[in-house]
Amino acid sequence: MKSIVSSFVVFVAFVAFAMIAPVHAQGSGMTDAHIASIKTNCPLALGTLGRIHVNDAPQFINSNQTYFSIGDKLMAHLNSRLTLNKYDASMLVKTASDFNDALSNYRSVYKSYEEMMSQLVRIDCQRAPVTFYDNVAAAREQRAEVHTAVVRLHELLKQYREDVKTFSAENLEATNG
Amino acid sequence: MDNISDSHDDLHVHIPWYQQRLLWLVSGSVTIAFCLVLVAMALYASSGSAQLDISRPGYKSVQDKVDSTTFESFPATGDVDKKAIDDFLELYDKQTKRVNSTDAFSDSALTDAALGIAAP
Repeated sequence: MKSIVSSFVVFVAFVAFAMIAPVHAQGSGMTDAHIASIKTNCPLALGTLGRIHVNDAPQFINSNQTYFSIGDKLMAHLNSRLTLNKYDASMLVKTASDFNDALSNYRSVYKSYEEMMSQLVRIDCQRAPVTFYDNVAAAREQRAEVHTAVVRLHELLKQYREDVKTFSAENLEATNG
Repeated sequence: MDNISDSHDDLHVHIPWYQQRLLWLVSGSVTIAFCLVLVAMALYASSGSAQLDISRPGYKSVQDKVDSTTFESFPATGDVDKKAIDDFLELYDKQTKRVNSTDAFSDSALTDAALGIAAP
């Protein structure tokens, strides 16, 4: 019984360390000179981060609206029209479905990124320079995830266009010729 | 005269605060309203509506950057021929150009060097 309790304590300690360690991993290697430099320059950095945060909002709103409209008013309408005319549009339906999933992912990762940026611009960077630096690194990673989601959406936009051309070549140009 | 005054005092019965229905009605209404506001705020935050809300404090300067142009849709009914597909592709290219032209959310904006917090 005693060995079970001690194993459990060791396990809990390991899990706690594993959860805490990555948070401090970035900041732990910082030199005093670097921390001093962050304290000096961070008001300017906060101003830049604030501008980036505010300018991201219309970019997300516009792109989100456009992606949604492309899926809803172009892809879905063409798929529906092809199905009504008894064509096999399964390839186009699959790409449109992947596009909708990618759009949901884009919204989700942007939400996390936006929440992180909102938190970041409120940090008192002169009192907590290491926390500030770690949060900048986390925000950078989340911004990269948003960028990856955008790249995936663009790939699917290209894919859908190719699918339409393939459909046209196989079903319309072949019969016309 | 004294009799009349005595009868008025008898009518004025003192009710303890916890038995006053008006007090319970007001406090109950305020509590329910508070709970509904909490639910609404939780939905506002969790649904992603907050990210689309440009009327938040601090966003006034970028309100005019939100695109309000209408999106032309492709008809969901009609014949399918080469011309219909060409019309679709023309419309598709026009609309996708609105998002293809930007290198959105590039991580270069948040580098240590760009923010001036790189190690010396």
